[in-house]
Amino acid sequence: MTDQGHQTNQDRKEFSDEAGSLWRIALAPSVWAGHFVLCYASVSLACVRGLLPIEATRLSLIAVSVIVLVVFVWQGWRAWRQWAPERGHPSALSEGKAEDRHRFLGHATFLLTLISGIATVYTTLPLLLLEGCR
Amino acid sequence: MPFRALISPPLAGLAAAQRLSFQRIRGRGLRTTAAALVLSGCSGRQSVLDPAGSDAQALFTLFVSLLVGAAILWVAMNGLFYWFTRRSTGTLPERSGRMLILFGGVIAPTVVIGAVLLWGLSLLPDQRAPGDGLTVSVLGEQWWWRVEYTMEGVEGSVVSANEIRLPTGQRTDLRLTSDGVIHSLWVPALGGKMDMFPGRETRMSLEPVEPGIYRGQCAEFCGASHAWMAFMAVAMMPEDFATWLEAEAQDAAEPQSDAARRGLAVFQAAGCGACHTVRGTPAVGKVGPDLTHVGSRLTIGAGRLGATLDNIER
Ligand SMILES: [Cu+2]
Repeated sequence: MTDQGHQTNQDRKEFSDEAGSLWRIALAPSVWAGHFVLCYASVSLACVRGLLPIEATRLSLIAVSVIVLVVFVWQGWRAWRQWAPERGHPSALSEGKAEDRHRFLGHATFLLTLISGIATVYTTLPLLLLEGCR
Repeated sequence: MPFRALISPPLAGLAAAQRLSFQRIRGRGLRTTAAALVLSGCSGRQSVLDPAGSDAQALFTLFVSLLVGAAILWVAMNGLFYWFTRRSTGTLPERSGRMLILFGGVIAPTVVIGAVLLWGLSLLPDQRAPGDGLTVSVLGEQWWWRVEYTMEGVEGSVVSANEIRLPTGQRTDLRLTSDGVIHSLWVPALGGKMDMFPGRETRMSLEPVEPGIYRGQCAEFCGASHAWMAFMAVAMMPEDFATWLEAEAQDAAEPQSDAARRGLAVFQAAGCGACHTVRGTPAVGKVGPDLTHVGSRLTIGAGRLGATLDNIER
């Protein structure tokens, strides 16, 4: 009983860890998508409806972008550690062991965070270069 | 519709237009001839490849750079493809392969696309930069252009149609809107295009550099006669422009000849004034284009026909 109980507990913990890292995989792309929608929506409200002052909107969105990028750096660093590339190349992670799955999720999270970061920078560039609604 | 009466053409205007086209031909002669050998068909009064305004020039530079960049990339990619499939077909060390993917597949595209994005975005504010005092308001109609000139610090405005005249060497504000459907104003030789929306005002500005006569075209499908919805954009030396605007602000000239007087009588008897305005006469209709000084315009029917007497009689 004790041996089996121990095994089950460890499985459970492992499972909840991996469930957590599955969520983290989706975090960066979701944050990018939210940021994108927020930018479009608030600039439209400012320029088309005139409900928000454009300059304040622009600066706030730039601030949000900075926060998002800080979150991505932190997230990317965590994913990098989970991936642990120094412990062997990802092409060797195909043995189906729990350890491989764990590192694979880190690898995927890292790459998705990187591309979400680039996309967020691209979304922010117009805010930096274009002023006003013209 | 014989209203020759209205065509008491300010001959000075016609002569100025001719002088303009002559200047353009002379000024651009050498360059155009050299280019014509390579790019015949790319020059002309409605071509982005023959820029005559500072905005069009900036877009042209961007276009040529993208084209050259794309050509280099294409050759390099095909060269690599050839090299790795025909010349060096052995396996690549894993480390070099990974480096190739990291630089060629991640870093290079990110940097190149980022640079092009930065460049393109940095051009946008210039194309909408505030003007130097002259504002041309254009209202898109189905299917013609209502044009109104206002000068900063000068009371009143000058209404015209289907022809936009701009002074060279200065930036002119364009305020665009539309009636009913979406149009888009584009003079390829002078700058980029801007959509015209019902109930909204969009803005752009143009800075012609070389005097000349360019063709503008509606660039957003707007119904049956969309393809016919054109206009002439005339870039004039600032002093010529001032003279023209002053003349344009005057009421229509009194008919001088018998034919002209007869035309005025027909215009009034046929009720043309219900839709068309001719300043200085009882004709104050707002539905159709303002026909004051129509004789001095370069085309009639929104750029469709040359302004000859035969065409006007149709
Ligand atoms: Cu149109």
